[in-house]
Amino acid sequence: MTRFAESTITFPYKRSLGPVVGAFMTALTDKRILGIRNGKDILVPPMEWDPTTGAELAPDFVEVGPVGTVESWTWVPTPSVQHPLQHAFAFALIRLDGATTPLLHAVDGGSSERMVEGLRVAPRWRGTRVGRIDDIICFVMGEVPETDGGDTGAAQEPVQRMDYHASITYRNPVPAATDRAVVASRNRRLLGLRCPRCERVYAGGKGYCPVDAVELGPECEVDLPTVGTITNFAIVTPVSYPGQTETEPFVRAFVLLDGTDVVIGYSPVIELPADEVRVGQRVAAVWASPAEEHDQEGGMGGAWGSLLGWMPNGEPDIDDPDLVNRIF
Amino acid sequence: MAQRTAVIGVGQTYHRSKREDVSIAGLVREAAQRALEDAQMDWADIDAVVIGKAPDMFEGVVMPELYLAPALGAVGKPMIRVHTAGSVGGSTALVAAHLVASGTHERVLTVAFEKQSDSDAMWALSIPQPFSAPLLAGAGGYFAPIIRAYMRRSGAPDHIGIMVAVKDRKQALKNPYAHLHIEDISFEMVRDSIMLWDPVRYLETCPSSDGAAAMVLASEAVADRSSSGTPPAWIHGMAMRSEPTMFAGRDQVNPKAGQECAADVYRQAGITEPRREIDVAEVYVPFSWYEPMWLENLGFCAEGDGWKLTDAGATALDGGDIPWNCSGGVLSTNPIGASGMLRFLEAAMQVRGQAGEHQVETVRRSLGQAYGGGSQFFAMWVLGADKP
Repeated sequence: MTRFAESTITFPYKRSLGPVVGAFMTALTDKRILGIRNGKDILVPPMEWDPTTGAELAPDFVEVGPVGTVESWTWVPTPSVQHPLQHAFAFALIRLDGATTPLLHAVDGGSSERMVEGLRVAPRWRGTRVGRIDDIICFVMGEVPETDGGDTGAAQEPVQRMDYHASITYRNPVPAATDRAVVASRNRRLLGLRCPRCERVYAGGKGYCPVDAVELGPECEVDLPTVGTITNFAIVTPVSYPGQTETEPFVRAFVLLDGTDVVIGYSPVIELPADEVRVGQRVAAVWASPAEEHDQEGGMGGAWGSLLGWMPNGEPDIDDPDLVNRIF
Repeated sequence: MAQRTAVIGVGQTYHRSKREDVSIAGLVREAAQRALEDAQMDWADIDAVVIGKAPDMFEGVVMPELYLAPALGAVGKPMIRVHTAGSVGGSTALVAAHLVASGTHERVLTVAFEKQSDSDAMWALSIPQPFSAPLLAGAGGYFAPIIRAYMRRSGAPDHIGIMVAVKDRKQALKNPYAHLHIEDISFEMVRDSIMLWDPVRYLETCPSSDGAAAMVLASEAVADRSSSGTPPAWIHGMAMRSEPTMFAGRDQVNPKAGQECAADVYRQAGITEPRREIDVAEVYVPFSWYEPMWLENLGFCAEGDGWKLTDAGATALDGGDIPWNCSGGVLSTNPIGASGMLRFLEAAMQVRGQAGEHQVETVRRSLGQAYGGGSQFFAMWVLGADKP
């Protein structure tokens, strides 16, 4: 049975809207919906260009709706947390009065039986509006717009940017080779895989040779030495960004394992200050104690299982001018 | 035999750290409209659109080409998105060129962009990957050890990286479109900037930019009829190569894919001595040390000698015999997805005599190069003033 490791990527994007969508969003804070004139058409939401020819449109805005007619719809019986409503609703194409194109939005229709083409709907506004499309929570049946909670009024300044907090969760199937490498690491073994074709040995559980494009199964496993030499390194001065956990300059080292052709890249170092790291320095693997349960799942970032990093082992440096070229 | 293909229009935005006044579509259209104006064409004249950008993570808009199709007048036309990390701007231009060279289309618009201010490149290049140790270091942390390996194996002195950083920023002062205009740039300023990714200093790295680039590529028949008054830049050779990021024994400093890509392009263009036969080059140098490294990779000198050319001033617009990155290069302007196309576009501007203050006198042939990923994707073209 395939095992999965979950990973979530999040980022607070800030999106600049430009003069046309910016005007639309600014108007939403004032509970007004704008379209733009394109010849005989009124496009809603407004666009910067003619969608057929690509020609630039003059900023000739026209207020539409706020009441409109459902032209088509689809029912969402079990919404996810990212949907606009947390109970069953319809996504609908709504032609607002005065517009020639429909707007896609949610309709709080109660049940799918009540949804019909030609249904008249009006916006339910958020009390506090910031200039986003979800300033309209959804559309409701009837001709009367609603406002949810106390109305804090229109934005004082034109809306130019939109916050967009993105979050996506992946379920990654864990390759069998990765699982075997992680299990071996609990016994302080560093597993390698030898390609039967090119004889190159790869550390860890990638499970394939990138040169020959062949799968490397359990029959290819070899035990790798857990002592090696630093061939190269980066000292990173961290800059702040969401998800950056480092605050002080830190080392990522490349370690060539003794008696092999294997380099473990971008490895953490332990008890080795950034200003003391050197090419040629001798190091030994540092393992998590079984009690620490270090990344038992072998999931995100856990490619090396219980291998935490590398620490000087006290042996004299190796002086070899070619070492520095061993990055991979 | 491929059809003769030429660049007949170029356009770019004024690159900035933040273009908060425009949407992504507005940014892209700005460059595209300038390219169309330069080619004296309208949206309707275009047969197909080829667009490129770096990973969608940079703006958080998944597959932006879907919403940009009408913004680029691509309704009812073929539209292709190209995706090769940092080299994408170059690869995108080449895919567009192939559509003309193959005889499929007569006039192709190609566009590349990045709007880095919508997010943070350090984050987008450091997101956790499944079953990999977290790097938390961005691109600089990745390239720093490779640069250290180059410095040690070539014996290059420390000041070479600083020289390139100063040279490219000085050249950017002659390019009104460049993002960085550091009027008082100096050796001391670069030397004293913080060591961001040892051995790479802050001012030896590229900025984060918002920007877009666009070109119109045309068949011989269209280029011959062009009434724009600016001569076409003819493609004399173009190639792409790739290789895996990591395998035991890979030479990261002088990647084989880059050498082979250059050899292919030179063979097509009939070039045997690049330093003598190419008048100006725009090469992807996001960290200053990549100038001497690519001088060697691209065959402008023997292996180990790249830094000597830089040291002797051979690559400077002012007095050098093979000026590199007269526009200020990636070190001065880096809208990632567009950075590769800007190299290709600047190569075209030099051949067409459009480069203004950073124009090199009498350019018969120019080179545009881009690389991406872990130095694993390469794209290049050689352009000429004469028909190939």
